[in-house]
Amino acid sequence: MADPTTQTRTLDHGTQPERFARGWHCLGLARDFKDGKPHAVEAFGGKLVVWENTKGELGVLDGYCRHMGGDLTQGTVKGDEVGCPFHDWRWGADGRCKQIPYARRVPLRARTKAYETVIRNDSLLIWHDPEGSKADYDILPPELPDVSNREIYTDWIWNTVPIKGSHCRELIDNVVDMAHFYYVHFAFPTDFRNVFEDHTATQYMASKGRPDVAGGYGDADMFLKSEATYYGPAYMINWLEVDYKGFITEVILINCHIPTGPDSFLLQYGITVKKPEGLDDKTANFIGKKYADMFGDGFLQDVAIWENKAPVQNPLLCEEDGPVYQLRRWYEQFYVDVADIEPEMRARFEFEVDTTKANEFWQEEVADNLRRIEAEKEASVVEPVETSEGAS
Amino acid sequence: MASFVPRSPETLEDQRLYTQARLVEVECLDCLARVGVKKNSEHQTSVQWTAEAQAQCPDLVRRKAAADGARLVHARCPRLAASIEAAVADGRIQIGAEDGY
Repeated sequence: MADPTTQTRTLDHGTQPERFARGWHCLGLARDFKDGKPHAVEAFGGKLVVWENTKGELGVLDGYCRHMGGDLTQGTVKGDEVGCPFHDWRWGADGRCKQIPYARRVPLRARTKAYETVIRNDSLLIWHDPEGSKADYDILPPELPDVSNREIYTDWIWNTVPIKGSHCRELIDNVVDMAHFYYVHFAFPTDFRNVFEDHTATQYMASKGRPDVAGGYGDADMFLKSEATYYGPAYMINWLEVDYKGFITEVILINCHIPTGPDSFLLQYGITVKKPEGLDDKTANFIGKKYADMFGDGFLQDVAIWENKAPVQNPLLCEEDGPVYQLRRWYEQFYVDVADIEPEMRARFEFEVDTTKANEFWQEEVADNLRRIEAEKEASVVEPVETSEGAS
Repeated sequence: MASFVPRSPETLEDQRLYTQARLVEVECLDCLARVGVKKNSEHQTSVQWTAEAQAQCPDLVRRKAAADGARLVHARCPRLAASIEAAVADGRIQIGAEDGY
């Protein structure tokens, strides 16, 4: 066999999966679907219709009527059902056609794809499985205590970002990517640890902002303690303790996505802040908005990378990197048939990243940057004088 | 059904290198659970469990059963950590990376 140290390495782009992950997917805040209208959500290579019935429950069906393919998302909510704009076939949340206003009877085969739904942490979650299994309620993300209590937590700030040209695994890869927090998000990750087990993948990180750059997490006064767990393939809860100039705020960040096509997905993130004692609502909401902007910036920094990078099945790692291969092995369990899930995809795996050397190099680099910035500042003070002399 | 299929056979070798190479079997001094351990540096540690080892570790089992286990379950077992330290001290685990793996 050829010596790999003298060979040119090539990127293996791999072949993308032909299906979308099995598991719970979050479609957004439940309240956003509760206005008496049918809503369209692009998902799993197609379109879904979401609406509220008379009992306040949300129904989720495939978006296209099984009669002649009318777009149910452009229909009308009638009682508990959604009526198709084409011929007014009325569909119930169980996937059955309940009524065809102009017909003697409804064909027995009038059944469409219905998704099982759950409201969790104020969001609408649906179960998706290419194999068509019943929803697994045992692996729902945990309920966050008091998160719906507006006395204790600020209202959600919820944002969506459509991503084109990237498979959603790019987003998942961030779970293990210690070094990108410095380069992309402008923070020093000082502690970094991963644990994968069953359907969960967790990242623990402590970080502090870089003093030499603004934007993202770049701010020397900002210390983050972050614990982020994916519950299944598409819903992450990130518990954050943000220390800003000694003022500590507990932030909950929901980071979830819906795959929309083979190389596109809709990223969604929601932020709520535990109201600090002694602070009025206005100030608490202001803090919530500030952190939503900060993490929003962070996601956009990632997006800029994803939209331009190449897919890589064979990443080359150095010893400061996190466990990309083990994370992807974990993630693959959601893409294979249940019968084909290998024990090692779900077996517990722990990885502690050594951040010491990396942080030594980065501290030096940042110190250099600060010196250069200082020098440029001094030069720019002198410059106008020279220019004015040159002009006269 | 396969997913994320690599196109090059070398990728399979990379997968093996990064997930399996140089894992040393360590037995917990308390519960005798056997895990695979690798240390690329003094501070870096990889621990590969199996379902059998997880079921054998009373610490993991207890935390999983706890009502608020959702977050606790990710903490390390302190007895296993001590067992790994002992294995390092005995020279059974070599510290150091090999070309990044």
